[in-house]
Amino acid sequence: MPYRPEPDRDSREWWQRIATREFVVQRCDTCGTTRFPARAFCPACRTEAWHWQEVEPEGRVESWIVNHQAFMPGAREPYVVVMVRLAAVPGCLVYGNWDGERPPEAGERVRASYNRIDDTLTLVNWAPAAG
Amino acid sequence: MLDFRDVTAIAGVGYTPFTKDSGASTLTLACRAVLAALEDAGLTADDVDGLATHRVGDSAPPALVGPALGLTDLAWHLDQFGGGSVSHAVVGQAALAVAAGMAETVVCYRAINARSEFRMGGTGRGVPASPEVQYQAPYGYVAPPQQYAMYARAHMLKYGTKAEHFGQLAVTQRANAAKNPRALMRTPITMDDYLASRWIAEPFRLLDCCLETDGACAVVVTTAERARSLRRPPVLISAAAWGGGTSHLSGPAADPTVTAAAALAPRLYAQAGLGPAEIDVAELYDCFTYSVIVQLEDYGFCAKGEGGPYVASGATALDGPLPVNTHGGFLSEGYVHGVNHIAEAVSQLRGDAGDRQVPGAEVALSTAQPGYILPATSALILRRS
Repeated sequence: MPYRPEPDRDSREWWQRIATREFVVQRCDTCGTTRFPARAFCPACRTEAWHWQEVEPEGRVESWIVNHQAFMPGAREPYVVVMVRLAAVPGCLVYGNWDGERPPEAGERVRASYNRIDDTLTLVNWAPAAG
Repeated sequence: MLDFRDVTAIAGVGYTPFTKDSGASTLTLACRAVLAALEDAGLTADDVDGLATHRVGDSAPPALVGPALGLTDLAWHLDQFGGGSVSHAVVGQAALAVAAGMAETVVCYRAINARSEFRMGGTGRGVPASPEVQYQAPYGYVAPPQQYAMYARAHMLKYGTKAEHFGQLAVTQRANAAKNPRALMRTPITMDDYLASRWIAEPFRLLDCCLETDGACAVVVTTAERARSLRRPPVLISAAAWGGGTSHLSGPAADPTVTAAAALAPRLYAQAGLGPAEIDVAELYDCFTYSVIVQLEDYGFCAKGEGGPYVASGATALDGPLPVNTHGGFLSEGYVHGVNHIAEAVSQLRGDAGDRQVPGAEVALSTAQPGYILPATSALILRRS
């Protein structure tokens, strides 16, 4: 893979949980707002208390690109990157590679598929949701 | 509150040639552009008491340019971290410093070997350090053309914006560049040329993307009163605004088809005491074709979602109601990270834009990157004295 993510102090546990296929977001203990990516502060009420909440790894396709140029060393091409609006965090757009036989469709429901790189790293891709 | 409107002016502009390989350091390019802008204004380096730039570790800061030009007593300087989203904030902050009396003559410059040394995004160098990158780069998603293409498709899906709308911008701006001796790309193109250009990141083709360029550009900011005694007609700084907004990176994001410019525009217009109907010419940050379309909407020239049809109507051509990127923009003139847009606005308002002059241009809007990738933007409204 061209780039190995470097978790920070806010995100390290998120990556660890994803490696066990536990899809979590943060939930604020004060106001209940869900958020992603991992941060110490709630952007709604600016408090620090929170807990991980496991949620369905689902969303809807908001956009995608088909990449044709090797912007990073070792990148295979062409490949699809999809932008997904996370169902559990409606204000949140997340990215991943497309895991589907056909191109994505606007607004379609998608579900995370896990791409295990090694013992400590798993990436989240997106595939058409069943049904 | 500080009386700001029309208190300061741009008294001169300077360029180095725009090339694919400058053969010079960014420090040398910066010095050449600074001296050229001073010459244009009828000033010398001895008149300078302020320097300002923006950069992302790819240029020469004032702390190097000052000594290189023998400026031993700068009263004010600014070395702003940031890319194209802060290009206009730098000039706005210089204008504030001048209006506040902290400095009298500030040269704002950007020097960049963006083709031969430091290409934007992940191309040709390491991945930039940002906590957001961990959620994107592992998927091969790291470069500005990819990110803008993602937002462009969201706009296409939501509003029916078409490839031909993007193409119309590329064709129109190249036609403007054909009238600009400074432009890197001057050969006219057709819609067929646009549609036949190779894919970069669908929905973007090669001709949706700006030209990464080696070069430098500078503008001289001083008081309006002093500018009136100098060589060139002063161009007044009527408004300068900068600020931030919602991130479209990893969240929280509401609508990826709206940029930080939508929040900034009302403040900018209020400062100048006018609205979009009074703008005669617009130099809009065109890192990609789509960035112009979203700004036409967010700066209020047309309704949200109507940017594509607005461009298709011919409105942004040199002879249209809102000439946009009269020099060819980053797509065809060259990419000096925002400052060449400001300099072109100055040329138009001074009436010295040659074959591409918009007759009677009195008020210009010039804008920075509208707030994708990082949620910040900036803009200026300039006025003929």
